[in-house]
Amino acid sequence: MKRWRTKREHQIYSSKLFQALCRSRRTSSSTSAKELHQTADRVLAITAKGTTRWSRAILAAPLTAGTNMKKHKKAKVTVHTRSRKPVVNREKKKLPVVERKLKALRRLVPGCRKLSCNNLLEETSDYIAALEMQVRAMTAITEFLARGEAQAPTDRLGSIGNM
Amino acid sequence: MSSQRSTSSNKITDDKLNALILRLQTLLPQLDQSRHGRVSAAKVLNEICSYIRRLQNEVDGLSGRLSQCLDSMDLTGFDAEIVRDLLQQ
Repeated sequence: MKRWRTKREHQIYSSKLFQALCRSRRTSSSTSAKELHQTADRVLAITAKGTTRWSRAILAAPLTAGTNMKKHKKAKVTVHTRSRKPVVNREKKKLPVVERKLKALRRLVPGCRKLSCNNLLEETSDYIAALEMQVRAMTAITEFLARGEAQAPTDRLGSIGNM
Repeated sequence: MSSQRSTSSNKITDDKLNALILRLQTLLPQLDQSRHGRVSAAKVLNEICSYIRRLQNEVDGLSGRLSQCLDSMDLTGFDAEIVRDLLQQ
């Protein structure tokens, strides 16, 4: 988890992401924000080197949009069981708060829907640290490129040294 | 506590749960222990979920900005090499 805070990891991620973005630009004329986000996530997962479940889940996921819809439909089927229970359980029909929050957390962290509580919290720590690095790196790249745009190409190299 | 009544495979003890929740709390800048002391597990989990969502939204926004930035740029092979090397320093 601590590695996400190191400069080294930040540099590795930044340059890998940039390479990936250049590659995708060569194949298609423009990149949608969604595709870019997907690329950024995949590069983040690769940088994790397969040590965490969330990173493996991201890499295993198909490269299409809107695949979450099916999963939501499945979740709704369980509503029918409510009618079988007698009225007595009405007060307890909601899970205890902590359980509910854990469930929400499981949905947020990739690949952790059926993970035990213990491991879930481990994965969450790592995932959050990685996301924070992702934000820092992408912010830096964007600002860097935006600055380069504003200046003449020959000046770009000079200003980069001051970063 | 409720975890004893849970029928799922989470046979985690309350102590362990609290220890892990405390660890998560250290990740949240807004719930710094030195200022808030003990915070309920539910609140920590709530903040964690909000924080993750916020980070993901931030990446969403950055993706949009970055894609616009890249589209408006004309990165030749030469420039790309330079930028990549500089990012690696």
